[in-house]
Amino acid sequence: MSEIGGSDLFVLEFGDILHYYTPYTTTLFVLALIFTGLAILSRPEGQVDIAFGGDAYYAKETAVSEMRFRRFMTIACGLATMGAMGSGDIFNFTLFASLVGITNVGIVAAVKSRHVLDAAYEYGIVAMVATLPLFGGAALILATTGTLSIPALAAGGFAVPPIGKALLALGVIGEGMAPFYAAKAEMFRAPGAPYVIMCSLSSLLIFLRVVEIAITI
Amino acid sequence: MLIITRISRFVSNFQNLVALFAGACIIISLAGILSLPLGFEEQQLYPKTLDPASSLYPYDRGGVPFGTTEVVVQYPENSPYAGYVTAYLTPLSQYLADHTHYLGTTIVAHPGGIIDEILYNTRGLDTVVETSILFAAFAIASYLFRREVK
Repeated sequence: MSEIGGSDLFVLEFGDILHYYTPYTTTLFVLALIFTGLAILSRPEGQVDIAFGGDAYYAKETAVSEMRFRRFMTIACGLATMGAMGSGDIFNFTLFASLVGITNVGIVAAVKSRHVLDAAYEYGIVAMVATLPLFGGAALILATTGTLSIPALAAGGFAVPPIGKALLALGVIGEGMAPFYAAKAEMFRAPGAPYVIMCSLSSLLIFLRVVEIAITI
Repeated sequence: MLIITRISRFVSNFQNLVALFAGACIIISLAGILSLPLGFEEQQLYPKTLDPASSLYPYDRGGVPFGTTEVVVQYPENSPYAGYVTAYLTPLSQYLADHTHYLGTTIVAHPGGIIDEILYNTRGLDTVVETSILFAAFAIASYLFRREVK
């Protein structure tokens, strides 16, 4: 077993589904936890557009109902990210990853800006299509090894096909858009700073986690 | 123009996002097809035999209600009562199973039909997260539907 995460600090049991925390995943978990706390406590930013060549400026107001919905989606996204960080089961991890994907769309769905919604629509299509490689990878790993538990797979004795890992990673990339921040930046033009950054942070975290899973199993 | 400039310009346009992801999917799928003869592991964690003649098809996992049924699980120590309520049917479900052939198709339509332990006990967290995904999707859809149009 190639232990890039270090030894287990804590194991939480839900029947066949274990949540285990190594120093690596604990770091990611604490990061998600702190950021969720910040998103709960902080108030959204007020964006100001300045008209070029004049004194005029436009202040963008974030309505209370919109702010509440986006904060709710941010908290849901943070919880899903925290779940994905500790998950010791591949199918459970894919479920958390798709929950991250759908809440990412939800965070920007409340914004009333045509440009942001256009970008979110494209991103939503990718997140929807990405469930196919995501669950396909998990299904392939189950079919070829007969188990889904990451600690059991990491213990050795199973030949996990590289294509299963590749599909899993591709699915997570599609859910979180992890390396394509340039495209996701269009979504970040939405006013309301702490909430949109959760999109970025959660996708980064699930990408780091899937890299760890792909190396460990 | 540098090639990296060209690539980053292409990637920065979100209209190309779906095409880019589709391209990655095609490449990975081709690699998958090339590596195709993948062996199926016979020692599956959740074994299941399909019997089309059973009225519970395809949800029939066999076993005796409230008896000891052999259930293969990953961590038996975490599920000490595994196999206890497999094959339990409520009286209504039992009546439907005895008289019709289609109870397996209505598993979601009536409560307490077949208590599938693998689904709800040993892998219970999956069920919770699946429902959370549905809930998040409904929350987004209802918010978008109910918000005022200016």
